[in-house]
Amino acid sequence: MRLLIGMILVPLFLCSQSLDYSISSIPQGFGKGSNAVVRSNVMEVNIASIKSMSASYKRIVTIMNETGNEHVKGYVSYDDGIRVKDVSAKIYNSNGELIEKLKRNDFIDVSAVDGGSLYTDSRMLLLNYFPVEYPYTVEFDYTISSSNTGMLPYWYFQGDFLVDVLYSKYSVSYKSPELKPKIKEKNFDGFHIEREEIGNSIVYSTKNIKMLRDEALRPSRTNIMPHILVAPSNFYYEGFEGKIQDWKEVGQWMNTKILSGQEVLPESTVNKVKSLVAGIEDNLEKAKIIFKYVQENTRYISVQVGIGGIRPISAQEVDQVKYGDCKGLSNYTKSLLAAVGVESFYVHVEAGKDKVNLEEDFASLAQGNHVILALPYKGQYYWLDSTSQIIPFGYIADFTDDRDVLVIKPEGGELHRTRSYGDEQNIQQTTGWYRIDHQGNIEGEVNIKTQGTQYGDHYYLDTMEALEIDKYYKNYWSNVNNFHLLSYGFENDKENVRFEEDVKFKAEKYATTLEEKMMFVANTFNNHQYIPPRYRARNFPFEIQRGFLDKDEYRIKLPEGYEVESLPDETDLTSEFGRFHLSFSAIENGEIQVSRNILLKKGHYPKEDYQAFRSFMRSIAKHDKSKIIIHKKTQP
Amino acid sequence: MNQKYILAVFALITMAINSQEVEFGKVSNEELAEQEYPHNKDAAAAITYKKQNTYYTTSNGNSSLITEVHERIKIYKKEGFDYATEYINLYKGRRDEERVSRINAFTYNLVDGKVVRNKLEKEQIFETEASYNYNRVTFTMPNVQVGSVIEFKYKITSPFIWNIDEFQFQYEIPVKKMIAEIRTPKGFRFNQTPKGYLSIFPETSKRNDNRIGMDVMVKTYTMDNVPAMKEESFVDNIDNYRSGVMFELVSIDLPGYYKSFAKSWSDVAKTIGNSDDYEDQLDKTKSFDDELDVLLANHPDPQSKMKAIFKYVKQNVTWNGMGGKYFYYGLKKALKEKKGNAADMNLLLVAMLRYAGIDSNPVVISTKDNTIPLFPTVERLNHVIAYAVIDDKPYFLDATEEFSDINVLPEKDYNWKGILINNHDMVWQQIDIVSPPKSNRMFALNLKLMEDGSCEGTYKSRLDKHSALRFRKKAKNLDMETYLTELENRFHGIEISDHKLENIEDYEGFVKESFAFYDEAGTEMIDGKLYVDPLAFLRMEENPFKLENRTYPVDFGFPFKNTYMVNIDFPEGYVVSTVPEPMIMTLPDDSGVFKYTIQKKPGGISVLVNYEINRAMVPVTTYPLLKEFYKQAIGKQAEKVILEKKTL
Repeated sequence: MRLLIGMILVPLFLCSQSLDYSISSIPQGFGKGSNAVVRSNVMEVNIASIKSMSASYKRIVTIMNETGNEHVKGYVSYDDGIRVKDVSAKIYNSNGELIEKLKRNDFIDVSAVDGGSLYTDSRMLLLNYFPVEYPYTVEFDYTISSSNTGMLPYWYFQGDFLVDVLYSKYSVSYKSPELKPKIKEKNFDGFHIEREEIGNSIVYSTKNIKMLRDEALRPSRTNIMPHILVAPSNFYYEGFEGKIQDWKEVGQWMNTKILSGQEVLPESTVNKVKSLVAGIEDNLEKAKIIFKYVQENTRYISVQVGIGGIRPISAQEVDQVKYGDCKGLSNYTKSLLAAVGVESFYVHVEAGKDKVNLEEDFASLAQGNHVILALPYKGQYYWLDSTSQIIPFGYIADFTDDRDVLVIKPEGGELHRTRSYGDEQNIQQTTGWYRIDHQGNIEGEVNIKTQGTQYGDHYYLDTMEALEIDKYYKNYWSNVNNFHLLSYGFENDKENVRFEEDVKFKAEKYATTLEEKMMFVANTFNNHQYIPPRYRARNFPFEIQRGFLDKDEYRIKLPEGYEVESLPDETDLTSEFGRFHLSFSAIENGEIQVSRNILLKKGHYPKEDYQAFRSFMRSIAKHDKSKIIIHKKTQP
Repeated sequence: MNQKYILAVFALITMAINSQEVEFGKVSNEELAEQEYPHNKDAAAAITYKKQNTYYTTSNGNSSLITEVHERIKIYKKEGFDYATEYINLYKGRRDEERVSRINAFTYNLVDGKVVRNKLEKEQIFETEASYNYNRVTFTMPNVQVGSVIEFKYKITSPFIWNIDEFQFQYEIPVKKMIAEIRTPKGFRFNQTPKGYLSIFPETSKRNDNRIGMDVMVKTYTMDNVPAMKEESFVDNIDNYRSGVMFELVSIDLPGYYKSFAKSWSDVAKTIGNSDDYEDQLDKTKSFDDELDVLLANHPDPQSKMKAIFKYVKQNVTWNGMGGKYFYYGLKKALKEKKGNAADMNLLLVAMLRYAGIDSNPVVISTKDNTIPLFPTVERLNHVIAYAVIDDKPYFLDATEEFSDINVLPEKDYNWKGILINNHDMVWQQIDIVSPPKSNRMFALNLKLMEDGSCEGTYKSRLDKHSALRFRKKAKNLDMETYLTELENRFHGIEISDHKLENIEDYEGFVKESFAFYDEAGTEMIDGKLYVDPLAFLRMEENPFKLENRTYPVDFGFPFKNTYMVNIDFPEGYVVSTVPEPMIMTLPDDSGVFKYTIQKKPGGISVLVNYEINRAMVPVTTYPLLKEFYKQAIGKQAEKVILEKKTL
């Protein structure tokens, strides 16, 4: 995934108690079944001036078992703009006895470069402790300071699964009222989180949050876990002062401080793209040509240095090296569009399969992890992601679709919703034909057409190697054992965003033979058998983030001398989640016709409906396994 | 190895007789205009030329090992862009480290019929530490497009002069031409062992090298059209099959000076045996004798002493995740800090077993992730285990894996042979490590069918040895709710109650699991007949071997026998109308058996299925049969029992 890196927030603290860290001191009802118990998690932020903040962090966590080790979270990130003043840790055994003390020099200092980036100048101090027995307790703390006040640490009171939290506190104090940050509370319902405001400080705290279990189809963590977003109104960031009350001002600040001057292109490139669109009047047509030019001439590479976490590298530089990250490539496309007289806007978005909105009533620089472009055309926006060399123009499923994003216009920022792919636009049509021989082997052909979000699940076949394609189909039709791919062909219609596959195949022993009979599953080509897992007590609501419509039509030719003994009954299921239809009919020439339709609707449902949803999916899975039985005709 | 395969490979690989060199910076229009790789149209990119020179230099009395690389890559498709980024790993020791210099790189494109080149700038080269013993230099080429040719040169200077990295000739993309040359001073003898499926023979010559003022032996490996490596499932370690050459210094023979390094496996064993860790430490017992005396007092016979010591080490020392044949902490400190690497733990085992009067010695090995060593080598052995002999019976012990047992080693240990280091009896030699024992999985189902197609019943399973080991590793720290949810899903949505798991925290004995279940859609009712799966939700449905052809042997990890016993009771008034035929099927050389029997009994049937794979590693020549074996077994398991209502 091509995310914008660098918007890393830094956390912190202050609190010293003489505590009992023995296992027996964990209160009743906690530490059973959980991988870790967070005894105390405290962040104290202090904004001393517009150019000076510090944060102290202290986390005391008891790790119950090996899986719990990830919850130590013994690291602190820093870079040129953030100084780590102190960092230390203490380790206690299960009796609460101190067994090891770690000072700054005992921490490992590593580059924070991850798989997604070629290079970053962010670094990390990492706790270097190897546990020899469980449970054990880690007391970890650090203090950092920075002259940047543009991004303040946010705070999750509970953010992980299978972790108990006994105490969690976040406080922020500020020198003067104009430095008072804005705070937005999220998902506090069902949790007892207290807020206190005294003088120039705000404190949030909570106690005794029991562990939560992960569940299939739950909403994104952002929408269920209790947390606060914190953002400054007046701030300083990497050389620039700013004032942000609303999204409009975020946009203005981005324009004047960050984006301006980055759009200049070399004369030769301007001339080249002008010649590419020569004679074309329509802005959308021009934009398609420019987008194609960017796709053919650049690639995604992420290098994050200094203010590069938020500012794109200049269009000039991208033009020279022909690569960039999401910021650099989007800015480059925007500049090329401008060169041919097409206006487009830089967009901050929280990208990912999970749909996460920017908060309408809470403007901040820290929200969003990706950059795309908005292209206004005839009263609507087209959304362009310049980081892929292969997606069709305007295609954004399922990475930035259907969510509120910040569109940065010359006059300031505005929130807009990106394109949503409606249930019935996400179509997959499967048409197939095969014949069965006397051994139960089958041979035939299938055609699959996909659109909308389903296009996104198929179009990359076009870029795969033959051996991988063979593996893909064997896996796609894993319900058909002994599958052999005989030939395939693809048509990728990027203009209309339609992908078409033509596949010829054979498979031995698809039909099970039993003396004079044969038996086989009628739904051969679209039988995925997903049943949502059963939960003894469902906790979270559930979501179908994107709906879809599948239409399937197959014809099956029976072996010579056989006739139908049993066809399953026609099925029609309707529920608030969608529709399912399956029917079978014997037609001429010893053929059977199978028709299947399934519509699943996008939606957000309360947990009480989960059982009904599961039953619906279960019924579908059951009917999809319906078998046809044929037998040898008796001689007249 | 498959004879046919060798022939096929020889047809593809032709040894270049005249090795034309490619000049840096001279890229032709034809190269740039080329649309696809001639020998593999699927290739997203290809290394069209790679030249590597490795040699020694001396300056101010310090010797260095130099490796110069010149590489040219053609990008055919967008998916090949990844190859426009180069990663150079540089080893870093305590005092010294490898360095890279003289990075010179260009991208070439054809623009309006002319070759246009873009240089990689200094500020586009990044260095980071990749791990505690590696630095990494990274760069990505500018202006890369489909059709681009990229070319780079660099020089690595290494102070670790006796460690010559393996030469690799095969990559994930094809190589059009490869020239790898190594110059070693005369008198410095290196073992040079080729590996992988492609045969490579170097040309050898002698030359005077005035940089070091002595004669050098020059070996040149030249290859054309090396195919790309392809990933497959069930492979022990793909690097075992990657073409290349490995180097190991065996002796230095200079006028007035002679030193021999490892030559045979006995020499290797002796070299390791002579190190401090093996020579002096294994008979020092002070750090544990008191405690051990107490422990051993309750165990009269050697067998139970061994078991007790094995348990003691596991309980008192935690593996720190590192292998190694030499100590990380040493015995004393490992006991005190309660942690250690493989040598700390397993040499401690040896020392304790000896203290208990058991004939015990270390055996040094190379684990699966470390590839198979092809020649006598000290460097490429990465792990040590303990070996004991009681009443002429051999026992192998590795305490690093929490759930391993005596003679049930971690799977990664079953890679190859072992090097016995018996300093006491002065026996230093290569020995066979027992192969993994056959592991049993037993499943027993009792099912009661209902007339509406649902069924209820009980499930019991029992696993031993490596199956149990795998299960315990996976089940460790698992949240039971989550596990049950997954289990219900895996078994087609049955509903589980009274679930019990036994003995998953120990490393000995069986893992046992049992539960009761209800299956709403257990059987199918079609036209008044019930169609029953004789193995119910336990039947295997998908063939794990999907590839039409396979290049590498199949590694199952360990041999196993699965036994399924199913009892099915029919609903009142139903009788069998059709029942599948029994079946027996075997793989050649007794490497696998599938047995299927089904019997009618009053009011029901009982099914017994055995399915055995008798070898941990199945050769690639047997692959088509293995695939067919699975196909037949799966087909058989899919057959139904049909029940119909008794007519009155």
